[in-house]
Amino acid sequence: MLIKYEFLKILRKKSALIVMAISLILTGFLFGLPVMQYQTYNQDGVMKGTAGIAYEKEQYAKLSVPLSEEYIADTIREVQELFKSPAHVGYDGNERFLIGDAYWNGVAPREKLLNLIANNYSSPNENLGYNNLPDLDITSGAFFYQRMKKRMETLLNDPSRALSNEQKEYWSGMADDVDIPLQYGYYEGWEVIISSFELLMFAVLAICIVIAPVFSGEYQEGTDAVILSGKYGKTKLITAKIAASFLFGTVAFMLHIILAWGLPLAAFGVDGWNLPLQIANTAIPYPFTFLQAVLMNTGIIYLVLLAMIGLTLLLSARMKSPYLVLVVMVLVLFIPMFLTPNGTTGAYNLTLFLLPYRVAMPEFSKYISYQLGGLVLDALAVRAILYALLTVIMLPLARLGFQKHQVA
Amino acid sequence: MELQLQDVSKQYGTKCAVNNVSADFAPGVYGLLGANGAGKTTLMRMICGVLKPTSGSIRLNGKTMEELGEEYYAHLGYMPQDFGFYPDFTAREFMLYMAAVKGLDKKRARNRTEELLHMVNLSDVADKKIKSYSGGMKQRLGIAQAELNSPSILILDEPTAGLDPKERVRFRNIIADFAKEKIVILSTHIVSDVSYIADRILMMKQGCFLLQEGMDAVTDSIKGKVWELLVDERAAGEYSRNYTVVNLHHENNMVRLRMIEETAPGGDAQIVEPSLEDLFLYYFGEETEK
Repeated sequence: MLIKYEFLKILRKKSALIVMAISLILTGFLFGLPVMQYQTYNQDGVMKGTAGIAYEKEQYAKLSVPLSEEYIADTIREVQELFKSPAHVGYDGNERFLIGDAYWNGVAPREKLLNLIANNYSSPNENLGYNNLPDLDITSGAFFYQRMKKRMETLLNDPSRALSNEQKEYWSGMADDVDIPLQYGYYEGWEVIISSFELLMFAVLAICIVIAPVFSGEYQEGTDAVILSGKYGKTKLITAKIAASFLFGTVAFMLHIILAWGLPLAAFGVDGWNLPLQIANTAIPYPFTFLQAVLMNTGIIYLVLLAMIGLTLLLSARMKSPYLVLVVMVLVLFIPMFLTPNGTTGAYNLTLFLLPYRVAMPEFSKYISYQLGGLVLDALAVRAILYALLTVIMLPLARLGFQKHQVA
Repeated sequence: MELQLQDVSKQYGTKCAVNNVSADFAPGVYGLLGANGAGKTTLMRMICGVLKPTSGSIRLNGKTMEELGEEYYAHLGYMPQDFGFYPDFTAREFMLYMAAVKGLDKKRARNRTEELLHMVNLSDVADKKIKSYSGGMKQRLGIAQAELNSPSILILDEPTAGLDPKERVRFRNIIADFAKEKIVILSTHIVSDVSYIADRILMMKQGCFLLQEGMDAVTDSIKGKVWELLVDERAAGEYSRNYTVVNLHHENNMVRLRMIEETAPGGDAQIVEPSLEDLFLYYFGEETEK
């Protein structure tokens, strides 16, 4: 009963509905933008929106294959053949590239795949395109997966990463769980979601704005005295307020997720949900499919939300005005947005990757790990543990804050 | 049922809001009188457990608030001064919410809500949002919520503040109805509010009790000190400057003065029966003038 009324109190405020509406519109706009701006090309010109998506999916239908060593070798060979004819090759003074039908028929429909293959043979910090494929020697085979492993080793041993042996073993062991050969296919919708995750922090802020008055609103409105003198004012009522806040946060978060996932997946389709992340970048060590990766990171953002709700409630119980709570929450959530990591190691960077805004970015290919003695945990695990722990710590403090509140 | 205050004090920095107050409350209506800033609200908040005393203890039937926990609060009904409402709730929703806070089960919550809304004459507007209510309607809703759990201790802090005379009379009657067999502590600086319904008067000044007396004997301390005198207007000005004039009434070309003085202020001054208002002005005359 108390939870129901506390939930109603949150929902009944006009400001809450306005904030939620704005946040949902913003989320819809931000996650819908890649759909609206989507365009692809063929010989006839540019194709935008759904027409472009339909064309691209049609092209990918032919590419939904396992990336076996033979398939990759054949693909590289085909590109190398195209480069052999001078009539197909252009030169901009810097690099060679295919032109005309050779490009439109031989490269354009599978350029993403060709870039993926080319990059697998690149050195760390090098970004190669299909036009580097002719330089590869594949006379005795592509050795794609051998190269994938070696490249990862090179990345792990890069001195700038300063990874310990235990950390290197951790990542190599994780990468060993990736199923090969990789299954290729269309995954645009999932890629849009993964690359836009941090935009959900606006939703987190909006939810915090709405629940900021849960305790401090009582002080501000002068209702604290009457509820705190009720039988359950210092006990069950606090539990109900916390439960209602989490309930509201969860429902609001789900609505945002429906939009954030729904728009790209409705436009691009759910294709690729069961494909491995490595078909977007072979340096990714996580043995996840796109769906698993999205679920995992969404789960982490949800844990961040719970911790932020916990922090908002704690501040709300301790501060006299919801506006003060909001000022602190905006700073907590968005200061990390203006801090840029300068690597993946050192206390500054490792802390930055755990702060609210950065935490929304999965950073699947950055090998961010934390070591405590012999225990190594990756960023996703540390984020999940940290924010679950913060939630558990904040709630009793928020409870105590309201219990000890003095009506003066 | 006995509520005991033992040497209760509340200090804010160097300012002492309530200073070593002790009192025993048995069922009955207690009028807590004092000028603004006398410490009435602070004392009531401490009794209601929403403000911690700096020292001293508050006991119900011999047990402290801490020992009793929820049980202590279950005995309480509190209507704070100027307390807020949830403007987007209807009166019925607010009452049901408060019933849940007070631990009433669903059925009793519904029954008490309807009963009390009827009693305070708000049944017809029970489904209207509180933001549309007048000050008087809000005050009536305030007392209704305080009575929801049929408390044995009812604390009402300035319940009639801001009400017009008609509303005040109606309010007094409601309080009198609720007061049976419970401890009602009613704070006010409007003397007439308590003079009709209080059994005992507690007079508070600068955080201390000046006086704790039954209604019948409360004015004894100024018996023989209240005088009335009929003088012309010029003399009235003179008296006002030199004596404690508590009331001044024009009668044709003359002025009837009511004064509180140890000895006869002169002329044809007659001793009259003291009232509660005389007593209040005797103690707080200077403060209220400020």
